Amino acid sequence: MNELREKRGMGLKASRTISNTIIYILLVLMSIIWLIPFVCIVLQSFRVESTWQVGYVVPKQWGVDNYIALWNSDFKTWYLNTFIIALVVSALQTVIVLCMSYTLSRFRFKIRDGLMRFMLILGMFPGMLSMIILYRVLKDLGLTQANAVPGLILVYVASSGMGYYVSKGFFDTIPKSLDEAARVDGATRAQVLTKIILPLAKPIVIYTILTAFMGPWGDFVFAKYVSFGTSSGMNVAVGMWNWLTPDMINQRYTMFCAGGVIDALPVAILFMCLQKYYVEGVTGGAVKG
Amino acid sequence: MKKYSDMEFLRLSKGQKFLYKLLRFFASIPGAIGSLFLAIGRFFKDLGLRIGQEFREIVTTFTGGDWKTKTSYFVMGFGSIARGQVLRGVLFLVFEIVFIFYMVVAGGHWMSMLPSLGKVGPHEEYSQVLDAYTTVYGDNSFKILLYGVLTVFFIVAFLYTWRLNVKQNRISEDLIRSGHRLKSGKDDLRSLVDEQFYKTLLALPLMGILIFTVMPIIFMILVAFTNYDGTHDGYNNALFGWAGLKNFNTMLSWSGGGNVYSATFGEVLTWTLIWAFFATFTNYFLGVFVAMMINKKGIRLKKVWRTILVMTIAIPQFISLLYVSKMFAKNGIVNGLLLDLGWINQAIDFWGSTAHNALLPRVMVIVINIWIGIPYLMLIATGILMNIPADLYESARIDGANPWQQFTKITLPYMLFITGPYLLTSFTSNMNNFNVIYLLTGGAPINASASSAAGSVGYTDLLITWLFKITTGAGAQYYMASVIGILVFVVVAVISLVVYNVLPSIKNEEDFQ
Amino acid sequence: MKRVITLLLALMMVFALAACGGKANNGGSGKSELAGTYDITVWCPDNEVELRKEMIEEFNKSNTDGITFNATVENVGEGDAATQMITDVEAGADLYNFASDQFARLVQANALAKLGTQAAETVKSGNGEAAVAAVTIGGEMYAYPLTDNGFFMYYDKSVIPEDAVGSMDKIIEACEKAQKYLAFNAGDGWYLSSYFFGAGCVSQWSTDKDGHWNINDDFNSDKGLIAMKGLNKLQSSPYFLSKSGAAEFDAGAAVVMSGLWDYSAAKDILGDNLGAAPLPSFTVDGQDYTLKPFMGYKFIGVKTQTDATKAAALHKLAQYLTSEEAQMKRFETLGWAPVNVNAAASDAVKANPVVAADMEQQKNCTAQGQVNDGWWNLAAALGATAKETDDEETLKAALATYEEGLEKLKNLREGLLFVGAWNGWNNADDADTYVFTGDGDEKTLTIDVPESDYMGGRIVNIGSWESDKGFAQVTTGADLIKDLGADNPDNNIVFAEAGTYTVTINTASNEITIVKG
Repeated sequence: MNELREKRGMGLKASRTISNTIIYILLVLMSIIWLIPFVCIVLQSFRVESTWQVGYVVPKQWGVDNYIALWNSDFKTWYLNTFIIALVVSALQTVIVLCMSYTLSRFRFKIRDGLMRFMLILGMFPGMLSMIILYRVLKDLGLTQANAVPGLILVYVASSGMGYYVSKGFFDTIPKSLDEAARVDGATRAQVLTKIILPLAKPIVIYTILTAFMGPWGDFVFAKYVSFGTSSGMNVAVGMWNWLTPDMINQRYTMFCAGGVIDALPVAILFMCLQKYYVEGVTGGAVKG
Repeated sequence: MKKYSDMEFLRLSKGQKFLYKLLRFFASIPGAIGSLFLAIGRFFKDLGLRIGQEFREIVTTFTGGDWKTKTSYFVMGFGSIARGQVLRGVLFLVFEIVFIFYMVVAGGHWMSMLPSLGKVGPHEEYSQVLDAYTTVYGDNSFKILLYGVLTVFFIVAFLYTWRLNVKQNRISEDLIRSGHRLKSGKDDLRSLVDEQFYKTLLALPLMGILIFTVMPIIFMILVAFTNYDGTHDGYNNALFGWAGLKNFNTMLSWSGGGNVYSATFGEVLTWTLIWAFFATFTNYFLGVFVAMMINKKGIRLKKVWRTILVMTIAIPQFISLLYVSKMFAKNGIVNGLLLDLGWINQAIDFWGSTAHNALLPRVMVIVINIWIGIPYLMLIATGILMNIPADLYESARIDGANPWQQFTKITLPYMLFITGPYLLTSFTSNMNNFNVIYLLTGGAPINASASSAAGSVGYTDLLITWLFKITTGAGAQYYMASVIGILVFVVVAVISLVVYNVLPSIKNEEDFQ
Repeated sequence: MKRVITLLLALMMVFALAACGGKANNGGSGKSELAGTYDITVWCPDNEVELRKEMIEEFNKSNTDGITFNATVENVGEGDAATQMITDVEAGADLYNFASDQFARLVQANALAKLGTQAAETVKSGNGEAAVAAVTIGGEMYAYPLTDNGFFMYYDKSVIPEDAVGSMDKIIEACEKAQKYLAFNAGDGWYLSSYFFGAGCVSQWSTDKDGHWNINDDFNSDKGLIAMKGLNKLQSSPYFLSKSGAAEFDAGAAVVMSGLWDYSAAKDILGDNLGAAPLPSFTVDGQDYTLKPFMGYKFIGVKTQTDATKAAALHKLAQYLTSEEAQMKRFETLGWAPVNVNAAASDAVKANPVVAADMEQQKNCTAQGQVNDGWWNLAAALGATAKETDDEETLKAALATYEEGLEKLKNLREGLLFVGAWNGWNNADDADTYVFTGDGDEKTLTIDVPESDYMGGRIVNIGSWESDKGFAQVTTGADLIKDLGADNPDNNIVFAEAGTYTVTINTASNEITIVKG
């Protein structure tokens, strides 16, 4: 009996070692695949000998010329624009999304179900076409070209209410008995939100801020419409997008890589720092939105 | 088809059970569609009844009401002010004044132009003295349509408020008659942070959605019924006007040689669905698989693996995807490496293949999408896996289930149940996944047989990228893009409706609370 | 409080100043009616931005009209500029660069201001016939030629021997031997059409201002088949790369078919090994055909304006920017080939080997007129099919599809319909559509009008519902139709009684003749 157990134990251990080894190999392979493109971009951004695309990865001559060239171009303006948009949008969008999701999670009012179904249906329309009309509306308001930054903020924030699913899902997981207890103690609904629910909802608040902050860094389609050829109103993505047009790519390719690194840096760092909350937000909310 | 009883069902073999379920599902479709139409019919019947009731109530309120109520029919809020509810009354009154002012100053003009979308187009003038041509502009169809729609919104809002105002009077009269005190303005304000707190919270977000989401969508739908394009831009070169169902005819007609669009639409739709299916499920299963690997007991550095993988979430796609598409170019790094290693002896044309094997670029976009998509699923799956009760596995182990059986019997069903809604939304959002396709291939390689349809369709184009190409391409046929947009909506809605009615975990929202 | 007031005052002053500065200050002390300060936006490609700013400054100093431009120069490339202009002409730049393939589209979108008499004279005197034709639609001129826009062959002298340069087969052979690529963008109609023109095909397009196309195209012929075979041969080489752009030299290419815009990049990469030559010939069934590329132009265009003074001033600037001196300056600083006849003939231009190759290519080229934008798709599809297969039947089928596509493009703008709504416009089921047929200006059509409530209809262009031809244009047969008076804003033709009618329209004079029976 004893012998038998030992034998089985040995077998288990051996098979676990084997399977773990396989898993490690897989994970290392995946990590390499996942990182290669980013490593390549970083390496290319330090290439000095030429400014176009080449068939090799490691620069023959290293230097920060591309970053200096970035500093001397309009990139600063674009970067600042994007940063302002990201900051303001993340603040306002968070407020709106939280209002929306909290209400839909906690209140039972007459039009609630109809409202949710309506927004579900709205979400099924491709947003691509709305851009043309939104561009015209912004233009009538004088919020395009040089004034693209407030214009973009307005559109991003105004339509953000649609993205309530994830955080509503999270609010749904906070027990309702907490609210009821507080209500019995005489708290108003507003007090319940600020005193009881928000502190518990820290992960989803941070998740919302994070996703709202990340969005504007990558938008090139709508932002291109709104800035409409005016450099001072562009965000990083639109500005750099121009560098990839056929007549410019040969002079700007390595600058594009350098710009990409700088563009991704704040988002990536922020994301890595707040990863924990992102995971909690996604798993708490996305799954059952 | 025959419906088995429970006992009969249990006696079936595994394959038969599956077949039975599948057949039952398809057999239920006609019934489901039938009940859908019934539901729609019921909706309109209810609506009709409701409207009739409203009108009756408006009339009875007037005939049975006192003079304050009667005046309120013309001067909104009068009754409320006269009965001491100054705040409400003033709000009603201000709204009415603003509405009338707007309609006189601008709204009436826009509404009157809406049927024609403008009468005077632009024309050219020549200045003899300066030897220069100028353009004199006339009406602006785009603005007429835009402000016309906004004015309709406003009128609906006004009618609703007016109805509210009438109702308010009736309620107040009833309350006074039964000897109750009316709410003061202070009460109203207090209720906005308490019982009616939801109104306060929703006001701003819904306003934003109404103007920046609903209005553009309505506008977009209307554009499908016009001839708005690059050479009829409504202001600068020519007015545009209503075109009826002509554009839908062009898109959907199968007759004779006029089927360029319908054939292209069919092809692109098929690929869009195939893409959405693979993009969703490859990511899903591989994501779960990776999450299980990382979370397996005894695997170290969990956080490091996770951090590396989520890089693709953290870095804007327009950088990462554009770069990856360059890596796989015929003379890109990947081909260079493979050639150097001697694994291939001529470069593989990952993106540039043609009808012959449009398969390769299609497989490529799905594979690269895995690179982008796995991390999300890994994060989600990690959270869910941790929540699966450990005793389930314990008892399975005691029953002698091997790891594979544990996966198929416990992990997968549990995951599928919880993530059902997520799968649905990710399927529909994959159908509209603009970024991956646009940045990786731009739709290439070109589909030679669809070359007569606007927008230069390629084999990897989804409906959404085709739509975008049309709006920016030759002729900028916005009306055609709108038609595609509406059709995309129809497809997504049908799929969602079917799945919504089949999946158990979406329906019972309250079960989770 | 005092500080607030001060601040307010300061703000008001700023606004007042801004308001003054924003307006064109006409009249002033200038010498002509054009004198004044104008705020304008200018779009040009990245590498020209600095030079453009300088040139506008110089114009401000040197012009004798007292014009001062306050210009914002933005970097918007040629291709993008056209797309942006068409999206929203109003917000577009006052002065912008674009290439000839976008010309027709921009005129149709009313994004180009017509040239006045004096400006048109200047363009005609400074440029060759081809360049003048390229900026003319329907007898009117719309833009200023800036530089040529064609392509030729760059090659690496160390890989391609001198005697191989003239023949595609030998070039590919040399490439395969050296394991280097040949880059030719066979996925783009602009490049691949050189095979068709080389084989002797023609594709001539002309339009009037309304965008009515007249196409003379024989790609679907034996000559076209030769071109398809040539394209197939080229694309089946493992060392073929469907790209253009000098950067390919750095990624393993030895030959790149591209234009002057790649000059500096190519020079940087290959240095002394850089060679340039006109396009080679391709061989099909033992016979040689020399590639004959499209030669287009890049233009400067003035956006349509509402203010005649500003328009006139902008045309002056555009003339200055495309003058002989300006073109020479661009040649010196950017390496752009001049199109001005005097500048192109100068010794300095001839001395540059790459520009010389470009000029040499100009002798064997197809002047790029305007084509319908849909044509690029059709042509690209030919390249895609030729890549797939060398099966003669498939190639022929592709050419037939191409021709069908052409017909559709033609009809897209030219088709004239009579839409009969026999029971009124709200009763679409009873509507019938008839197509006018006929060559030249006279188009005819026979209509069977059924006995019905309304018995009327509308003459429309395909794709449009504006009826500019109808009741008001009927010259003969007015007694056969009802006069609805003011109730007929849409210009409907309503027949007095049922029967068969023959309707004839003269599209030039817009006169309509109706005959019964």
